Amino acid sequence: MPIGNPPPQVASEVLGPAGSTARAGVRAARGRRRGNQRFHRADRLAPYILVAPAVLIIAGLRLYPLALGVNFSFTGDGDRNGQAVGLDNYSALFDDPLFTAAMRNVGLLVLLLPVAVAIPGLLATLIYLRVPGHRVYRGVYFFPAVLSPVIIGAIFNLLLAFDGPANSLLGAVGLGPVDWLGDPDTAMYAVVGVHIWATFGMALVVFLAGFATLDPSLIDAARVDGASIPKVVRHVIVPGLSQTIQFVVVTTMIGMLTSMFGLLYVMTGGGPEGSTYLPEYYIWFQQGQMGRPALASAASTVLFGVMLVVGMLQLAVLRRSGRED
Amino acid sequence: MKRRALWSTALIAPLALYGCGSAAAPESSSGGGDTLVVWDWKSGDEAAKSYIEAAKADFAEQHPDVEVEFTAQPFDQYYNLLGTAIQAGEGPDVMLFNGGGQLRDRTDALVPLDDFVADDMERLAGWEAFTADGHVYAAPVTLQGHPLYYNKALYEAAGLDPEAPAATWEEFLADCAAITEATGADCFAMGNKEGYGIQFFMSGLGPGILGPEEYDAWIAGDRDWTSPGVKRIFELWVEAEQAGLNNDGVNSTAMFNDEFALFDSGEAAHVVGLMSDVGHWKEFGEFIGDENVGVMPAPVVSPEAAPVLPYDGGIGYGVAEWTDDPELAADLVRSLTSTSALEAFYADAGAIAADTTIDASGAGPATAAIVAELPTGKPALHVALSAETLELMGRLSQQLLSGSVTVDGALAQLAESDGAA
Repeated sequence: MPIGNPPPQVASEVLGPAGSTARAGVRAARGRRRGNQRFHRADRLAPYILVAPAVLIIAGLRLYPLALGVNFSFTGDGDRNGQAVGLDNYSALFDDPLFTAAMRNVGLLVLLLPVAVAIPGLLATLIYLRVPGHRVYRGVYFFPAVLSPVIIGAIFNLLLAFDGPANSLLGAVGLGPVDWLGDPDTAMYAVVGVHIWATFGMALVVFLAGFATLDPSLIDAARVDGASIPKVVRHVIVPGLSQTIQFVVVTTMIGMLTSMFGLLYVMTGGGPEGSTYLPEYYIWFQQGQMGRPALASAASTVLFGVMLVVGMLQLAVLRRSGRED
Repeated sequence: MKRRALWSTALIAPLALYGCGSAAAPESSSGGGDTLVVWDWKSGDEAAKSYIEAAKADFAEQHPDVEVEFTAQPFDQYYNLLGTAIQAGEGPDVMLFNGGGQLRDRTDALVPLDDFVADDMERLAGWEAFTADGHVYAAPVTLQGHPLYYNKALYEAAGLDPEAPAATWEEFLADCAAITEATGADCFAMGNKEGYGIQFFMSGLGPGILGPEEYDAWIAGDRDWTSPGVKRIFELWVEAEQAGLNNDGVNSTAMFNDEFALFDSGEAAHVVGLMSDVGHWKEFGEFIGDENVGVMPAPVVSPEAAPVLPYDGGIGYGVAEWTDDPELAADLVRSLTSTSALEAFYADAGAIAADTTIDASGAGPATAAIVAELPTGKPALHVALSAETLELMGRLSQQLLSGSVTVDGALAQLAESDGAA
């Protein structure tokens, strides 16, 4: 309803018996005034009432628990349960080699992000350029995206076992066996590799959707001019897809930081030597396994801070790209 | 600008109250007068059905009007769920625990049972694992221990006498060499992916390394991490790996159940297993035959050691601190540890029950060998450690195998963690 229109019920009040037209007119005027007041109040309240459910849900189920969690991070565990301990949890956190390893792994994930984006980008390009069998690949690439991390973890546990097929294959070409999940130098890469394998199908679909918006005549023109495929990719496809690439970067980053838990849990359990911890795994471990909820709250607060910074940076990137258009 | 400031204030204001309240909830009580809720990870098993039935029947005789509700939780999430319940200060009235650290870390949430179970003290074994600061917090259902199992068929194939396993470490190494040469099987099945391998190694072989006095002092909480005996345990852990006694890829082999699968399939001659539930005589017997499952004392590494069977209370039921009627809940715990119930558990679930009055002589040579050792047995070394120290030990044991920490370095860290706990 457009705001500011007179309320319709006033019109019906004007229709009265002919003998009392004047009084009716006065009453009508009074009624109109009262109606307007009533309307104004409803009008003012309406937006608040309409947003109230959303605000209450956000405040009650998001902001309040968040504040509570931050609050708990300044209290103690065990014997000191309920006492204010200042920054003790935070100093314990940064003294804990497990937590610092987890934060380092977050850094590693950020560094590996370009790989995680380039793989689906490259494969989508090849499908778009109709390499032989592209229809088959389109389906096959998406297939792992429908599997649960637990199943994928179990499959790769078997494949990457010390006496598993991956090492048999390496042995057949004369390379020594690699303890994929037992060597702290390879374990994190193995898990991230499996995560990329398992999730790149979704990014691939986004890329293919982006390709649908590309103007094919540009590519045809480049080809007619004799551009090689790498040059077409570099100078025509990448600039045309810049927005899609940014979107994939953001969603892949979020995926890597928030949904590796299942794989870690099944494949390494944070090991070997604590080399595959991520903050969310650490939080779960401290809260549930070690019974230290306050320390876990502190770790959650730090993770929240990190995510906030990463999120802000990504928003800034997205906004800038929007302005460029 | 003003609005933004207002929002920021609204968001930040709660933080001004920082450090109030507590992450784990203070005590409160839950309702439900005539229903007792039990949490465990056993009652869903088909094998434990007869046990639960027997316990329920025993309890119903004393309290016909009280209903008992068993909620089986998945084991790998059990302590997470329990932790949440403890923080909320409400949940089950009676709950199942593993003995040792898992229980000791949570005694705040439990009722001391000393007065309620005084009559059971004689009949049941394994109380130490459920005792903290002089109080008993749960009653043992099964006994859990770490016997050193061996595969008699592999001994025979290597031309060794399967009834006369090695008594000393040198003989043990010689036997292993003979077995590996004759059959290709590894000496030990070892899985340390979860960091449990070192715990079993310590408890399984430790009795052959530490002298009786040092052993008892360790259990009593007086632990010298720099003593030659303790150092020898960790040196042996590294030596066993370097000498090729273990299967390949120890740090990526899960104990549950890849390690035990190696022993089951005859690819390894020895394994430090369990006494109850999984990785035990019953499971091994199903694969390699009951007659081929041998149990041997830890080979003697240091001359002053006198090997004993390491065992503790395995699992036991405790009473939640927030329950309405602790006496009623304690009665249920007593029913869950009654002789009739435990007999059913032993017979059907393949566990060494905590009740010493049960006759186990008819259950095969391995069981008989274990039960015969119970009277002289002592608590296992690793069970005496806190969950935190165990977690650190698991991580350090992996580093020891990959060579990224020295034995002395690892012991220093463990001493610090154990001292802080």
